[in-house]
Amino acid sequence: MSILREIVTIISVLAIPGLILFFLVYGQFKRVRVYEAVVEGGKEGFTIAVKIIPYLVAMLVGIAIFRASGAMDFLIAGLQPLTDLIGFPAEAMPMALMRPLSGSGSLGIMSEILKTYGPDSFIGVLTSTLMGSTETTFYVIAVYFGAVNVRNTRHALPTGLLADFVSFLAALFFVKLLFF
Amino acid sequence: MLNYVWLGLVVIGILTAAGRDLYESIENVYGNNRSFPVHVEDRNGVDEWTAWCTADELRQKFAGIEDADTTRFRLSFSRQSPTAGLLYPESGAPAILLTVQEAFGNDGSIPCRVISDSNRADLLYVSFSPIRFVYLKRITNAALDAAALAVKIALGLIGIMALWLGVMKVAEEAGIITIIARAVRPVTTRLFSDIPDDHPAIGAMIMNISANMLGLGNAATPFGLKAMEELNKLNKHAGTASNAMVTFLALNTSCVTLVPATAIAVRAASGSSDPAVIIGTTFLTSLTATVFAVIFAKVFQRLSVFRVRERKAS
Repeated sequence: MSILREIVTIISVLAIPGLILFFLVYGQFKRVRVYEAVVEGGKEGFTIAVKIIPYLVAMLVGIAIFRASGAMDFLIAGLQPLTDLIGFPAEAMPMALMRPLSGSGSLGIMSEILKTYGPDSFIGVLTSTLMGSTETTFYVIAVYFGAVNVRNTRHALPTGLLADFVSFLAALFFVKLLFF
Repeated sequence: MLNYVWLGLVVIGILTAAGRDLYESIENVYGNNRSFPVHVEDRNGVDEWTAWCTADELRQKFAGIEDADTTRFRLSFSRQSPTAGLLYPESGAPAILLTVQEAFGNDGSIPCRVISDSNRADLLYVSFSPIRFVYLKRITNAALDAAALAVKIALGLIGIMALWLGVMKVAEEAGIITIIARAVRPVTTRLFSDIPDDHPAIGAMIMNISANMLGLGNAATPFGLKAMEELNKLNKHAGTASNAMVTFLALNTSCVTLVPATAIAVRAASGSSDPAVIIGTTFLTSLTATVFAVIFAKVFQRLSVFRVRERKAS
């Protein structure tokens, strides 16, 4: 297990420099004018980033209003019977609800929980697993669809949120199974 | 769906804030028009004093403080006139004083009116100007900050996007993207049935998902946005998500994670004895979520609620 972990860590460090080196050298080998291609492709970076702005503003503002109002406390209290039923610890609920909404928000909650309950406690490991195993669904939807001007996202949100719900249950299951 | 969820976030947020403010003003949580005693300890400057107060005494103003407590907490007081001054709560002050501090939103000072006790020179009675609409002010500030932050995040993407899109361009022209796409054909033909086998979208998606697996968020976003652009070229309904886009996003948000880099870093920072212990649980959790995400995407795309509607010409 620890050897595997070591290998994975090394790969993640080498990935970016390795990828750049491989792409450029292979490109040159294939007679691509690499510098010209990099500059040409890079031009798009600006337009895409600017296209995203209105989508990201709308999304972050909506989430910020919801968070600052403290409505989440009521939501957590309202969901309490349900979470008690499936044995999801109440202490980790803020994390579960914040994770799809805000990356920085859930990072803050995670640090808070680790400080209060300890990083190696059941709550601590569960929270860390939640943090690591899902993305910020609302942010990804805003950015990815924003880049191609898609306004009707169809089933993207329900799919993302249900998948998040599955990962809460899975995290609870695997953390209990492997550690506690 | 996103439409209503977003509307819900905004409306619920504003109504909750308004409701809380209404409740707080009815209950007079901030003890508007009530005062509390402050003991002046040291008049070390002419107008800069250190002072203290107990939670019990603070309750004369803020009825909401629950636990009876006679431990002193420290305050600094800066006198501006015989009847007015600025109060600074120091560390360890009760939460309500910090909320008051936030509500005045100055440099951390709380402007207050002061009445000296005629019998005891070291005792002051302090009251604040009325505090109202704490939550509505808070959501207003949060909304404005979030709008500014969104622009900052988007502009911050420019550099990293330009770099990776440039590198991608080389890979595309050299034919690497097509090679990657061909290599994973058995999987992708099933997941993305409406995309040609060696389309550049496949290559970009694979690179996005690989980067996410390794916890390389910075590189993942440019690949992902490139993939979305390529998918959009195949999209027949501009402005509406295609099935392939949603399946890709489902893969992306639940993405199988080998290195949860951020979570491990936070664990290390908070003194974990084994920060990387979550690698196993994270991998299994995200693998489960990914399988379900693809199933959900495939099932939902058939539902009539989510069917692509032709836009009516206006």
